[in-house]
Amino acid sequence: MKNHIEELRAKGELLLNPGCVDIAVGVGTCGLGNGAGELLKAIKEEVASKQLPIQVRSVGCFGFCANEPLVNIHIPGKPLLILDKVQIEDLPWIFASLENGLFPKDRVLCKISEWDYLGASATFGSGFEEIPEWNAISYFRPQKKIVLRHAGLIDPTSIEEYLAVGGYSAFFKAVWEMDRDEVLQEVKNSKLRGRGGAGFPTGLKWELMNKNEAERKFIICNADEGDPGAYMNRNEMESDPHMLIEGMLIGAYAMHTSEGIVYVRAEYPLAVERLKLAVKQARAIGLLGKQIPNTLFQFDIEIVEGAGAFVCGEETALIASMEGKAGRPTMKPPFPAQKGYLGYPTTINNLETWCNVPAIIAMGSSWFRQSGTVGSPGTKVFSLVGKVKNTGLVELPLGESLSTLIYEVGGGSSSPNKKIKAVQSGGPSGGCIPASKFDTPIDYESLQSLGAIMGSGGMVVMDQDNCMVDVARYFIEFTHKESCGKCVPCREGLAQELALLNGIVQGRGKESDLTKMEELGLNICDTAVCGLGQSAPNPVLTTLRYFKDEYEDHIQRNHCASGTCEELITALCSNSCPMHMDIPAYLQLLKENRLEEAFASTIQDNPLPGTIGRICHFHCQMRCRRDSIDEPVHQGEIHRYLADTMYTIGRESAIYQKLVDTMLLATGNSIAIVGAGPAGLAAAFYLVRLGHQVTVYDSNEKAGGVLRYGIPSYRLPKEVLDKELELFDELGVKFVFNRELGKTLSLKELQRENSAVILAIGAYRHMELDIPGIELEGVLQGTDLLERLEKEQPVAIGKRVVIVGGGNVAIDAARTLWRRGCEVTVAYRRAKEDMPANKSEIDEAIKEGVVFSFMSAPIQVIGDEGHAVQAFEVMEMRAGSYDLSGRRRPQESGNTRRIPCDTVIVAIGEQVDTGLLVREGIATDSHENACIERYSYKTNLEKVYAIGDLVTGPSTAAEAMGYAKDASQVIDFDLTGKRRFSSLFASFSYSNEPPLETPAGRSIAPRHLKITERKGNFAEVNRGYLGEQARLEASRCLRCDIRYTETKEVAHG
Amino acid sequence: MAKEMIQLTIDGQSVSVERGTTILDACLQVGIKVPTLCHLDGVSSHGSCGICAVEVKNSKRLVRSCMSQALAGMEVQTNSERIRASRKLNLELILANHPLECLTCERNLNCELQSLAQQLGVRESRFQRTRARLIPLDWSSSSLVRDPNKCILCNRCVEVCSQTQSVHAIDIVGRGLGSKVATFLDRGLGSSVCTNCGQCSLVCPTGAITERSNIEEVFRALSDPNLTTIVQTAPAIRVGIGEAMGMPWGALVTGQMVAGLRRLGFDKVFDTQFAADLTIMEEGHELIRRIVEGGTLPMITSCSPGWIKFIEHFYPEQLDNLSTCKSPQQMFGAIAKTYYAKQAGLDPRNIRVVSIMPCTAKKYEAGRSEMDGAFDYWKEEMHLEERDRFADVDYALTTRELASMFRRVGIQFASLPDEAFDNPLGISTGAAVIFGATGGVMEAALRTAYEVLTKETLPSVEFAQVRGMDGIKEATVMINDMPLKVAVAHTLGNARILMDQISRKESPYAFIEVMSCPGGCLGGGGQPIPTNAEIRKKRAESIYLEDRNLEVRKSHENSEVLALYKNFLIEPLGEKSHHLLHTTYTKRGQYKVFEH
Repeated sequence: MKNHIEELRAKGELLLNPGCVDIAVGVGTCGLGNGAGELLKAIKEEVASKQLPIQVRSVGCFGFCANEPLVNIHIPGKPLLILDKVQIEDLPWIFASLENGLFPKDRVLCKISEWDYLGASATFGSGFEEIPEWNAISYFRPQKKIVLRHAGLIDPTSIEEYLAVGGYSAFFKAVWEMDRDEVLQEVKNSKLRGRGGAGFPTGLKWELMNKNEAERKFIICNADEGDPGAYMNRNEMESDPHMLIEGMLIGAYAMHTSEGIVYVRAEYPLAVERLKLAVKQARAIGLLGKQIPNTLFQFDIEIVEGAGAFVCGEETALIASMEGKAGRPTMKPPFPAQKGYLGYPTTINNLETWCNVPAIIAMGSSWFRQSGTVGSPGTKVFSLVGKVKNTGLVELPLGESLSTLIYEVGGGSSSPNKKIKAVQSGGPSGGCIPASKFDTPIDYESLQSLGAIMGSGGMVVMDQDNCMVDVARYFIEFTHKESCGKCVPCREGLAQELALLNGIVQGRGKESDLTKMEELGLNICDTAVCGLGQSAPNPVLTTLRYFKDEYEDHIQRNHCASGTCEELITALCSNSCPMHMDIPAYLQLLKENRLEEAFASTIQDNPLPGTIGRICHFHCQMRCRRDSIDEPVHQGEIHRYLADTMYTIGRESAIYQKLVDTMLLATGNSIAIVGAGPAGLAAAFYLVRLGHQVTVYDSNEKAGGVLRYGIPSYRLPKEVLDKELELFDELGVKFVFNRELGKTLSLKELQRENSAVILAIGAYRHMELDIPGIELEGVLQGTDLLERLEKEQPVAIGKRVVIVGGGNVAIDAARTLWRRGCEVTVAYRRAKEDMPANKSEIDEAIKEGVVFSFMSAPIQVIGDEGHAVQAFEVMEMRAGSYDLSGRRRPQESGNTRRIPCDTVIVAIGEQVDTGLLVREGIATDSHENACIERYSYKTNLEKVYAIGDLVTGPSTAAEAMGYAKDASQVIDFDLTGKRRFSSLFASFSYSNEPPLETPAGRSIAPRHLKITERKGNFAEVNRGYLGEQARLEASRCLRCDIRYTETKEVAHG
Repeated sequence: MAKEMIQLTIDGQSVSVERGTTILDACLQVGIKVPTLCHLDGVSSHGSCGICAVEVKNSKRLVRSCMSQALAGMEVQTNSERIRASRKLNLELILANHPLECLTCERNLNCELQSLAQQLGVRESRFQRTRARLIPLDWSSSSLVRDPNKCILCNRCVEVCSQTQSVHAIDIVGRGLGSKVATFLDRGLGSSVCTNCGQCSLVCPTGAITERSNIEEVFRALSDPNLTTIVQTAPAIRVGIGEAMGMPWGALVTGQMVAGLRRLGFDKVFDTQFAADLTIMEEGHELIRRIVEGGTLPMITSCSPGWIKFIEHFYPEQLDNLSTCKSPQQMFGAIAKTYYAKQAGLDPRNIRVVSIMPCTAKKYEAGRSEMDGAFDYWKEEMHLEERDRFADVDYALTTRELASMFRRVGIQFASLPDEAFDNPLGISTGAAVIFGATGGVMEAALRTAYEVLTKETLPSVEFAQVRGMDGIKEATVMINDMPLKVAVAHTLGNARILMDQISRKESPYAFIEVMSCPGGCLGGGGQPIPTNAEIRKKRAESIYLEDRNLEVRKSHENSEVLALYKNFLIEPLGEKSHHLLHTTYTKRGQYKVFEH
């Protein structure tokens, strides 16, 4: 036997080191799905037809599933190269590169110079200096490959190659050099814990089995991987099936058993095929089925294909299923170790657990304990899927943080501008962990403390477009379907949980549902018979714990912020618009050339369509379905076009008149609104139309707030704002200017004299930068600068300006000063992609010639003797580890740099004037914003409501207006006791036929001033659409709001 | 060897129990009856309902007391907010999936689910109804009706059918909410290997399995002046019906039962026990003949219709071992519509024979096509045509149905006077009454066989070895120096053990009594609910008391049976007996589709 194995090993070594160029294609299910099969064939044909001295092999999956097919290329003496996303079209350059030995660095994923197979090692060679080592790229950097040590490097169908990388040597070591107890002790010492998810110490489990004497004993490998989105075990079988056999052989030896069973899903045909082949090969060389020479040991493996019930992953159900019974769990005790398969003592380990065993025996338990944590040593293979850039199989040492897995390995959010919200760990009965907890280490206890579980290693990442209520509903629907139905808590409880969740996502939820769901969930955990039921409520319990506000939004406001819950939304754009403008309506009305109605439709949701159409962040565009084809529709540009056109041709007054005519009868209530910014204006617009008498107070001399005093004219010409403010006069909103709350305006008086007082004073206080030199004369605040310029007050500005910050105020200041002829540098302590300012604004600023100094943290302002600014000193930053926002923490490099300048503008953010709130006796929350009762907008003071940035902290104008719109509805109900809000909205009829075709191509860019025309003036940069452009752009809308089409009867004759 | 005792605390009280005791039973020892629903002592511990959950210190989750063993040092809490809330919630979940039609349900006021809801204080249903659509009722059986909508999936019926009876006619199929109790290929009980024993209906905590009622037909017959209604009562009724009318377990109420039946309007109140004595005459002689003439042995009794269907399905090759005697119910019907009709001058077509049985399978038996000997007897004489065909027994009611009839007409059962059965078919012996208990037929047969063969009087009529609740009992009786080895089995599970012995040709017995139900007929599937081990014991005591109370205790000494032979049948196993009192069986097998 020994000699035979040596022969095979030598053969395998020759395959791995053929002495010629070796090309290997990854042919796991993931690779094959991406065309690896055809690719392999094409490579073989090319090599054959040209009679090239090249060996072509197939290997398993190296784990980077998102970038399959992966191709390994090894030129003798050189590092092994891994090429990703290889298509047949790439073959010409690949063969050309092979000829000249030069590989373009951007076409190669990484190289491997040396590899430790844990039992054998390989030196591939050196060279290709410009290509990164495999563990130097972020996807692999934190990984450690123990279970996946061979995956993607050896041919899973070749026992020779397995032997050549040291395979089965651990088994021979165990069976020839160690006695059974030593093997068991080694596994115990390793502190390996069950990788199926529960984390029971493997050595202890084996020991329990050894305590039972019986005529037959069984060991079982549980490869019934049923979690949606998880495929660790599949890949482990497909890429390295002998590793499992070796693990079970060692286990069988340690546990005195000769019978092993692998229970594998029938849905994994390739895994089953490769496993069967491996078993056959192992039998052929006498490892299975025959007595091992020089021992009394003999073992064989039977493969049982399970029919695919999630519950059969539960060990007692798995045993029932193997015995030919329905797969229903039974109570433990008795444990399988006492009474298992066919009534005999049985040990069941997850596939990954078995696969760790050869490495432990080969390398020793103390080596194993070097990875991972003290309580959870070793690694765990995760299947990382969902909304991350890099998906695939990741083997991480336990104890690494979730942020390492998601942001570093996963590369963060899969789409720009979208924030990662949560990760579902542990499959459908795991828990949803919010991004704010991503600093948690991944180990059994830490995940449990968050309400999640390790499970078998599924990690589904979710971003802001995922509704957490819907996520919980999805998983409960799954476990409810997969419940075996035996016990009441699981069978009936999950059905009720699902019914409640269905009610909420369909807008039928009640507040009491939330406590009911929690009570139910805890009871299911407490009384279900098996692991499935006991963990099934986790998604509900964790989302209730971490995302309760989303549930409440669904229930209280019938609103699903992510736009997932179909019953609650019309179109994604309208749903994501803070003001819920009826976007499909005005687009269609424009298409039908009914401009006035289109405008009338926009203005009833947004009294400032021209203004907001210029400065909005366009939340609508971020969720436009057209984006999935090419680019989103420019919905905002279109309502700006509608407004501009109406004002140009003077047709707005008739529409204004209609709004005046449809005002509700006077209620006799008087309402004071403090603050004439976007929130205050929007509230005034609705409340006055509802028949209340509205007075708006503001500390400035004109209305508009930040719209007027914060946004430069090249973005928003003040004539547009002034024009739109006329509507408020028409409606009879009273404005009182130059009154400042707490000084020239008494809140108590307002309370006394009004039915309601609405505070809408925004977040206008700038944040302080505490560095040396900040007191120098040439240092200004960004918001002050913009306000004074708008008010035409004198400001001393030099020639060379440094602006500190990365928000819109910083960019507005930069572009404003650039227009005034300054040399402008923006210093920001993080990277460009981390900047919170509008991306288009940053791009325009760059185009205009504003200089950006990224990764530059402020240290001090350097002045001369006369207190004049001389320079701005920054610390150059390096990208550090990932923080909870998914951005890399800037870390000081130690290198400082001085930027010569005479003026420094500080624009690092704004906040609510908490001091004012405290003085006025208004309660504040943990963010130091005004504290209100959610959904009623009530502060702690009688009759006093608060809205907008004052409550939320700095947000966009549209968000503040949307907030005001919702608050107006609630306040009106408070005052009148009637639901009257909907009567403010006229309905428009228009075609609801889905467009048969829409214009092809990307969105139409509105006309912009040339860069050369911008300097020295404040002329508006974006000139907006021409009529044809607007109609064409509107026609790009796919009308995803249409759910049902009416079938029209065709008239004959 | 002394049982090992362990010490634990329950609700702070220290208690010492035998190792292996469940927490549930340990709780009983400190006076706490933990509520249960799916659990049924000796039948089922499935752990599905979760109602019996208790807290065990250091256990993360609640523990099912019915399935978990008490361990030394355990600290158990049976009453806490967590437990009360959980029990109530799980019950609410069950109720959300249960048709709340209590007022019109067969089991109204005798429903465990209903009682538990009351006990646990469920006063509202906070959950929406789970059941999306109604599952059709299973009317395919002539003995039982299944309403899957009322099923709470407690698994008791499945367990009793498979574990106690080894029949496996039903199991839970489907997954999750789609789970339901079903037969092979969901073809209905009537097309399955179901033996109609009705144990499932006895253990069902709700109204999901009930007997197929014939009450309305019987009331109609009673009101028809053109019909003569004859009722026969099985031995086990007199020890069961009292319970259903609010009397203590096992109350012996023979006289009151007779009075009640008269009040209901039966023209003649007779006793199946008369036919039981007759059965002994026939069966005893059959046994003697088989022994003497070398017939198939062991001979097995054939009184229990569930057993008959069982052997037809599972041991069709062993049908020759069965006695060819009809059951007492059927012998009675055949005699009533021939011998008695003649004697009383009645047109058999105008007689309705109603039997009160502790058994649901009797309904099926009465409907078997072989069971119309009286029609064949009269066919020529009365020039009857096929369309006139009538059965020997028209309706077989269960004890529960009789109780229901009593209640419906307002009979105050406990205050009824004792009345005697009518003559001649109301006369019976102590040998007949013990037919109601396991071992009774054997004992009765031995009393007769012994005296017939030895021509000697038995020193003691009581055969203690065949009494009691052991699953399989055996005895050896010396008759004329010849040892007669006999065995008695009750429950079909135990019968299967003896049958397998026969199949293996290893059976040492000459004669075997088999009763389908635990404890024999007194534990029959038609008896009052609840019926459990303790109650069966009480009923058996009453049966044996009745035997002792009777002057005549041997079937061959029943004067009216002797008269029947003298005047009509001539002799046991004679020509008339062959036609009226003996039957044939059908090889059924297990897997073909059975049309009933």
